[in-house]
Order: sequence, then structure tokens, then C-alpha cells
Amino acid sequence: MHGTVVKGSLRQGEDGPVLKPTPHQNPVLAKVLGGFATLAAGLDYAARGVTGYNFYSSRGQLEHVLPYRELRTRAVATARKLLSSGLKRGERVAIVAETSPDFMIVFFGCQYAGLVPCPMPYSMYIGGKEAYVSRIAGMLKKARASAVILSSDLSSHIGAAAQIAGTAIVKTFQELQAQPESIEKPRPFEVDDVAYIQYSSGSTSSPKGVLITQKAIVANTRGILRDGLKITNDDRAFSWLPLYHDMGLVGFCLSPMMGQVTVDYMSTPSFARRPALWLKLMSDNRSTIAYSPSFGFDLAARRINGEAATLDLSAWRVAGIGGDMVRADVLNLFAEKLSVAGFDAKAFTASYGMAESTLAITFADLTKPVKIDTVDRLHYKLAQRAVPASEALKASPERVRNFVVCGKPIAGHQIVVRGDNGQDLTDREIGHILIKGPSLMAGYFENSEATQAVMSADGYMDTGDMGYWLDGEIVVTGRAKDLILHNGRNIWPQDIEWAAEQIEPLRSGDAAAFAVEGEDGDDDVVVLVHCRLAEPAEMEELRRKIAAVVHQTSGVECAVVLVAPKSLPFTSSGKLSRAGAKDGYIAGEITEISPLARMPHRPSGETRLQAAQ
Amino acid sequence: MSASEDTFSTLCQLLEPFNTAKIGLKPETDISADLNIDSVSVMDFVMEVEDHFNIDIPLNVLSETRSIADLVKVVEGRLAKV
Repeated sequence: MHGTVVKGSLRQGEDGPVLKPTPHQNPVLAKVLGGFATLAAGLDYAARGVTGYNFYSSRGQLEHVLPYRELRTRAVATARKLLSSGLKRGERVAIVAETSPDFMIVFFGCQYAGLVPCPMPYSMYIGGKEAYVSRIAGMLKKARASAVILSSDLSSHIGAAAQIAGTAIVKTFQELQAQPESIEKPRPFEVDDVAYIQYSSGSTSSPKGVLITQKAIVANTRGILRDGLKITNDDRAFSWLPLYHDMGLVGFCLSPMMGQVTVDYMSTPSFARRPALWLKLMSDNRSTIAYSPSFGFDLAARRINGEAATLDLSAWRVAGIGGDMVRADVLNLFAEKLSVAGFDAKAFTASYGMAESTLAITFADLTKPVKIDTVDRLHYKLAQRAVPASEALKASPERVRNFVVCGKPIAGHQIVVRGDNGQDLTDREIGHILIKGPSLMAGYFENSEATQAVMSADGYMDTGDMGYWLDGEIVVTGRAKDLILHNGRNIWPQDIEWAAEQIEPLRSGDAAAFAVEGEDGDDDVVVLVHCRLAEPAEMEELRRKIAAVVHQTSGVECAVVLVAPKSLPFTSSGKLSRAGAKDGYIAGEITEISPLARMPHRPSGETRLQAAQ
Repeated sequence: MSASEDTFSTLCQLLEPFNTAKIGLKPETDISADLNIDSVSVMDFVMEVEDHFNIDIPLNVLSETRSIADLVKVVEGRLAKV
């Protein structure tokens, strides 16, 4: 943690006062579950109580306490400092979204100053500086950001990105706090204004900013608090999710504030290093709500070991799963390991959402266990129908697919499932999921082409996901497009291909990246590459370089398959056909050519299906 | 054995569980490229290193670290600061 904005009594010094986290509830102030006109109005209200945000270090020490009251005071002061830096109403301010009080103070400072905050990722991989700099530069450029606010340890990274993008104002959190306060009275965003831009959508080479209005964030946080999570006075949230993603930002920063809920945080890198600490801190704080992609539950369950018996997770009533394929085996493992700590498997809650609808679209019934629909794999693949699997079929796991039932839309929002010709589909017919309602984004920022590509004339937005109806609940089966899902992150195959094609002697069109379903139901990433080399040692060197650059760019382990030149298929319009490449690879028509290939990667599930036919 | 040789051999021991392909570890071995470990496992390894030496390695430093020799420098730099 590098926040030096928060000083004095808030910072736990060597011999300073012992910090105490904010309490579960406000003893006097009445609980109001969202519905304020704007984010600033929501904070004005929350500031009348004693709840707020608490930040824990990677070793589990409480480092900063930021009650909503304190947050509001600092945000209003920061609004004046932003204005005195020369920023004009409506301009974009990029903020590096570390899990720290600094980020919250500047984000809400923007709300009071009428500036549009754009949270930027800070995630990086070992050896990944260059990829990070170009990613941030792309976002700054697309947002036409007037300023970027960062922590001092990132100055060389962000400074380089700002230079590429031509961002005029680059300040650390400390430098911003040293600014004088403008005499101009800050004018907060009003009900018809925008709220923020989120940049986790779109590929690195062409990032798309999701523009969220005050109306959308107000509608969505209200739906989350009232319809989805049914928040009470006893709730307390915990999060290690990144604040530059919708689940972290909306689900665990903005929604809790709009409902005066206290949140305890550990940063995402801290969680990745010490996943078991998540559960210990939840036990200490008697937390009631936390979300994670499946892999987070998996990591924590594997790391907890004997410590589980010392924990008390009986207060945990909503263990939300989101961001990737829900894996029943992982949930079972987690519930089994943590039952000794009083964890109730009924706490697992499926939901569905995306940044383009602010965050939430549907929630499953909180009081019921996760509902899994097991369907016949062959019908699913060939007929686009979700036919319930017979008991006999269920005995052969490779002949069925398990899908999670994600619940009903929040109040005031509609979903339709449509076929390829636009016709509305009924129960168990798989089609495109479209959504409508007050939570929808205003559009992709200054990108009408991309906005028009997803919005239909009748006000529905194509989510890009496929799914089907089941007794009034939606079931999501996967992406319509080529998007790869890995540990809860969306990865664009073109980012991987572009990175690979920077390696000599590869050229544009020489790489095809896609996901195949691994043994565990997660996506395994495969990159097929045209190889014009003949020397086996050189071929292996090429493979190694490609794996390295993909890792530094996307943080994923991939199987690089060297294939014969001109063996990748192209569409009639001359574009690489990823689907064609994947089909050819699975069918065994496009194969590895290096004699030294260590372990030729074999796709598992699909091959087994073919064998079973 | 010099201090940095010491650090190098400790790092190699800590890396061993992640070295699934069992390649020979050298100072110039590229941690992410040669070992092809994913981002979650890398953080596991970083945690092992931090715990063993009782140091913190910030992400920005990590993003400029490629080889084991780089990491030796980082560890010794952080140790000197304690």
C-alpha cells in the first residue's frame, strides 16, 4: 500500500493509535438502500453515519480506515484541487485503481467536481512492463484523458504511457493533494449527467470505454441492494476484486456506499499471494457478502488447510460467483473444506452481469442452493437445444454439459433470447441474450460504430452471450464470439495474436488464438502459428519466444502449436477464421510440425465427444 | 559462496516446484518464458520469495523483472532496504 494521502490518525504508525475498522451498522442513521439521485447524493447521505471502507495489508494488518464521512470531506477538498489543476467540467480523469483510500478519494472527488473518472488497471505480470505501458497508453488515448492520477511507484510506467497518449496532466496522489484548493465552488454531477467510464471492455489494441450515466449507476446499485442481495442492517461486505472491473467497482465500492454498508478490502495482488487470508479476514470481521470467480474459491480452498477449523464463516450468507464458468466441483471442494468453519453451501449465489449494463442483470434466489442444469452435449452442440440429460447419459460426463441457472432480471430490466433470425426463443432454445433497462450504458465512449454494433432499434443490447430460458430464469452457455475466459478475465484472442506476430519472422495473419475446453471445464489457450523455419532448435526457440510474449501480454499460459505455412484458414473476405482454425485443429487436420515438440497439446472434451459418436 | 550466489541457489530451490518441465535453472533463465508458468502461479512463487526473505516486492518492480539474475538483484535490493 502506498497511500500517503491518508495521514495522521488514519495511518497506523509505529506508536500511533490502534486502528479500529468501521462498524457493521449505523446506530442512528436509517438504512436507505440506494435510490439517491446521484453518486454524490448517495455519499452525502452515507457521510451522516459511521460506516465506511477498511483496507488490510497483504499480511492481514488493518492499514487504513476511511469512514464515508471522512471520504466525503476529502473528496470535496479533492474536487477543488482537481479544478485548480486546470481541469474543466466533463473532462476525463484517469485514475490508477489500486485498492487504496487514494483511489476512492479521487474517484468521488471527480463526482463532486463534475469530472469523469476512468479507473485504469494496475495489474502487471512478471516482465510485463512494456505490455502494461502500451495498454494504458491506448486507454488514455481513447478516453482523451486530460489528466492521469497515479501512485508514485508507478510514475515511470504511467509517465511513459501519458507521453505516448499526449495526456497533459500527470500527478501522483500526493502531488494532487499538494495542489491549492480552487475558490470556484465545485458543482457535483447532476441526475442527467454521466458518472464514469469503465475500460475493461474491448481488446488492448482497441479498448472500448463503457460510458455509465448517473441514472444507470443509481438504477443498478438500487437493483443490487434491494432485489439482488436484499441488504439488511447486519450486512458487511468483503472484497479483493480489482476496482477497475465492474464487479469490484460497482459491486464492492459503489453499491455498498449507496447502501451505507461497510466494506473490508484486501488488494487483488495480496489475495493472489495469500488466498487463505481472504477467509481469515472474513471470519474476523463476521462478513456476510463476498464475490469471487470460481478460481478464487478454488485457490482459497486449496490453501486453507488446517486453518479452516479456526475460522467462523457462519455469518457469510452470499458467496457470489461471477466472471467465469461456474464449476460445480470447485464449489463442492470449497464447501467441503470450509464446512468445519460453519460455511453454508447454500450461500453460493449465481448471478449474471456485465460492464455494459453497469454490473448486474440477474440474481438467483439467495435462499436456494446453486441450480445446475445438466443437458445432452450432442443436442447442445448440433441442435442448439438444451435437452435435459437422461440419468443414463449423466453417467458419462463427456456426453453432458452442466450449466448454472443464473436467476431472474432485477426489477425494471428485461431479457430476451433471440435466434439467428431475430425471432424470440422459448424455454430450452439456445440463442443470443439481449437486455434492456435503465442500467444500460449510454454507449461506448466516442465510438458510435461499436455502440451501433450492439444496440438494436428496439432498445435492446446484444450481450454477446448465448443462453436459454428455464422456467423464467436465464442460463448462460457461453460467448457468441471468440472471447477467451481465463480465471475470471476476458481475454481477446486478437491481443494474443498481435503479441505473437511481433516476433520475427512472423507477420500479420500468422497466428490464430482460441480456447479449447480443458479437463476442468476452464478454457485452455491454444495459439497456432505458421512456422517457416526448418531447424528444430530454431523452431523451439520460436515457440519459447511466443509463449513468453503471450505471457507478458495476457498473463496466461498457452500451448503454442507450430503449424505448416499457409495452413490457417481464412474467410472469403480475407480475414483469419479463428473458428475454422479451431475446428481444423480439433479435427486433427492442422497439426504440430516440429519434431522436438515436447507434449503435443490435445484438446480433451471435444475429442472425447467425437470418439463417443 | 558469495551472497548473491547464495540468493541465487535459494531462489532456484523456491522455483523448483514450479519448474514442471524440469529445465536446468541458470541466472539468465527467463522466469515467465522459460518456465511458462501462469500469472496465478507466478504470484504463488513471489509469495514464497517474499515470505522466505521477509520482504515485499511491488508489482512495478516485478514487471521489470525477467530472469532469475534480475530477481536476485531485486531481492538483494529489498533486503538492503529493510
